[in-house]
Amino acid sequence: MRRHFLLTTALVGLLFQPLFAGAADARTTLRVVTHSSFDLPKDLIATFEAEKKVTLRLIKAGDAGEMLNKLILSKETPIADVVFGIDNAMLPRARREGLLQPLPAETAALSLSPNVSDVDPQASAASDWLPIDFGYVTINIDKAWFAENKLALPTSLDQLAEPEYAKLLVVENPATSSTGLAFLTATVQAKGESAWTWWRALRAGGVKVSNSWSDAYYKDFTRNGGSRPMVVSYLTSPAAEVFYSDKPVNVSPTANLNLPGGVYAQIEGLSLLTGGAKDAATRQAAVDFMLFMRSAAVQKALQTTMWMWPASATVAREPVMTFAGKAPTARAVDAAVLDRDARNWVRRFNQEVVR
Amino acid sequence: MRRSRWHGLWLGLTPALFIAGMAVLPMLRLMWFGASEPSPLGTESGGFLSGWLAIWSDSYLRERIVWSLTQAGVSTVLAVLLGVPVAWVMARLEFWGRQWLMQTLMLPFVVPTLVAAMGVLAWWGPRGLVGQFFEWDDRGSAWLLIAGNLFFNLCLIVRAAVAGFESQSAARLAVARTLGATPWRAFWRVELPHATPAILSAMSLVFLYCLGGFGLALLLGGQAYATAEVVIYTLVAHELELVLASQLALWMLLFTGVAVALYAWLQMRVRAPLRGDRVRRYRPNVKSLTTWLMLVGVWMVCLCIGLAPLVAIFTKAALASSVAWSEALSGETAAAIWNTTRFSATALVLATVLGVSHAIVGRRYWWWRMWGMLPLMISPVMVAFGLILLVPQWLDSWLILVCAYALLAMPLVVQPVAQALDSLPRAWGDAALSLGASPWRVWWRVTMPLIAPAIRRGVAFAMATMVGEFAMTLFLSRPEWTTLTTLIYQHLGRAGRLNIDSAWVLSAILLSVTLVLFWLLDGRRWHAVGTPEFDDRSPHA
Repeated sequence: MRRHFLLTTALVGLLFQPLFAGAADARTTLRVVTHSSFDLPKDLIATFEAEKKVTLRLIKAGDAGEMLNKLILSKETPIADVVFGIDNAMLPRARREGLLQPLPAETAALSLSPNVSDVDPQASAASDWLPIDFGYVTINIDKAWFAENKLALPTSLDQLAEPEYAKLLVVENPATSSTGLAFLTATVQAKGESAWTWWRALRAGGVKVSNSWSDAYYKDFTRNGGSRPMVVSYLTSPAAEVFYSDKPVNVSPTANLNLPGGVYAQIEGLSLLTGGAKDAATRQAAVDFMLFMRSAAVQKALQTTMWMWPASATVAREPVMTFAGKAPTARAVDAAVLDRDARNWVRRFNQEVVR
Repeated sequence: MRRSRWHGLWLGLTPALFIAGMAVLPMLRLMWFGASEPSPLGTESGGFLSGWLAIWSDSYLRERIVWSLTQAGVSTVLAVLLGVPVAWVMARLEFWGRQWLMQTLMLPFVVPTLVAAMGVLAWWGPRGLVGQFFEWDDRGSAWLLIAGNLFFNLCLIVRAAVAGFESQSAARLAVARTLGATPWRAFWRVELPHATPAILSAMSLVFLYCLGGFGLALLLGGQAYATAEVVIYTLVAHELELVLASQLALWMLLFTGVAVALYAWLQMRVRAPLRGDRVRRYRPNVKSLTTWLMLVGVWMVCLCIGLAPLVAIFTKAALASSVAWSEALSGETAAAIWNTTRFSATALVLATVLGVSHAIVGRRYWWWRMWGMLPLMISPVMVAFGLILLVPQWLDSWLILVCAYALLAMPLVVQPVAQALDSLPRAWGDAALSLGASPWRVWWRVTMPLIAPAIRRGVAFAMATMVGEFAMTLFLSRPEWTTLTTLIYQHLGRAGRLNIDSAWVLSAILLSVTLVLFWLLDGRRWHAVGTPEFDDRSPHA
């Protein structure tokens, strides 16, 4: 009995150990809240922590929209010092809620890629938000399916809404998925009020609405055994298909279908949270982290971990990124309009397309 | 005597306060926040109560509530129609593979939600091993969610009904047969009425699980068949429409509350005294066609509904490329397994202590039992977001995660322990007391050994479900806490064949980890399925 007791105590001690670990460590702790797709190589983070004598406390708070909601709920007592993953479209809402602090002066000298400022000149000039990476939401197609069925690709949104093509498409619900919201936004931006007629045609033609990108891509896309050869996804997904292929390939099995008005541009950034990084040491750590996120090493690594393009002007593209093709000409939607109307769009989408 | 009553109160207060602090308070806080903030749309101005009633006039929300109730009702009825005949055969006949079937039928209940959903899809889905032969509308189907519900809950009905049939007095059945009742009539007029309270109680539990279930509904229901729980999740997590979410959540609480009240009340009625003259199982006549049909039917139901989705997962994992396997067997996976195990184990200690003490007090009052079932009734998303308002400074601490796990696992410990306590003859404890044992000694030497199997079973179930608890993905997470479930999600968040293959392999690993842990805790005692009150230590066995 006693031996059991000792063993149990030791085990319980081992289990609780992380609670007390780090108490003796005198390094500054920087709390960084991110969306769940945040991913950087462990050794990069470890080198940063060692060089700057900082302990990074990364907190993942769900997808970007969910994260923003959590930050709004906790703004009286911020759960972190720095936030990564607020995108240009969410920026006005974050500002209105008073979540963001002005950027430290040290970040002013960083050079921004002209691609980023082209996408959204207004957001790129922000003084409370530092662009880190950017990317596009667009339609991916299953090349093998289209070759096999000898079907030409649609060339416009209007053609896409024809029954022949609508029944081949799966989109995500904008209420629960950021890619879904992005695609809806792009269509409303391109078509204005007539976008709703277009969506009704798409619905009548048999478009499928899924809960999330994972559902759409892994359950409905023909490439992964589903029944739809067109899926609303990311511009970099064809490159990721090559990178994560089970055997070496030099052609991607999927391709992008960049229809005019069907591509959405997005920039993700880093900000200081109001009420966070209060003392000088933490503030310095926050500055260091911001510079680190724009450093060449991180800007290179994030291309194949988060599958976005680097915001720094001077960083080279990873070779595998060539499978994503050239950057489309899409521009970001006016954030103020988005802030005012996005909720109504989602509501309307659910009335007209889902219900 | 008075002193011991106070002792009982203190014992019960801790778990009650835990539930209040971890579940009720966050929910109230979220509702309060929603009510005090001006609505972003400015539409709901008629006050909380009128808005609460107005939910029924919104056609979309009304449809969602009706669909939630429908899918739960249909799943429950189907589970009874399939489960009761299976249970009867298992309780009365001694046939080849009976023991093994009883065990495998329990497996789905301990399967992680995410794995279960993937398994059900791999088997019944539009592109599944069997589903591809059906004419599925690829825009979603009501039957997919119902198939998932059955997969999870059939074992609850079978288990309860087997217990009900087994506690049948052999003498009474023999009298009915001697007086000329056909086997069929004896079943309807003697056996079924005897088992009915047990079956009804299991039915209310299944109804509760189907109605309040969040993960499965989100993963299998899709957009077209979203249940009210999924709508609440969307409203809170994505739209921050807290007023509407609270109003909807209150309605759902009302419905689940009725199911739980029914369950708690029935449970107190089922507490049948143990009988010495149980009906013996007999070896069936293998030459009779009816017997053949019965046995084949039982095997088909168990294999198709219970086992097949699990086999489908292992098949998918086996078909995954060797690169995916070598990737999945990396240090990252080992760390995730370790995290999964240590979080669940710590939470388990907490859930067991709280669950057992709650069950001891719950023995006396049915409403106290209801309180213990509360974690099953409320939306996990409201708890997760309520905690953000309540204790933002502790959110990234390990403790809150463990408490959340313990909260969701507690009811699973409470149920079997409360059942075991119910069927303890009071006289035994009284005898020990009158022989001079202290109340503490009675507890330690009489009650404890008798309910130990039930505790072990409850702990095993709690552990197994915690390992893959889907609702935990709603809470904050840190990269160093990555569990197997979050790791699967990370892979499903990226494009590429290797990622989906890794997700299958990790699902198979998660399933194996669950089964190993379940076996370690409840191991060789799976045969106790049919006799939830006592196993081999029972004086009557």
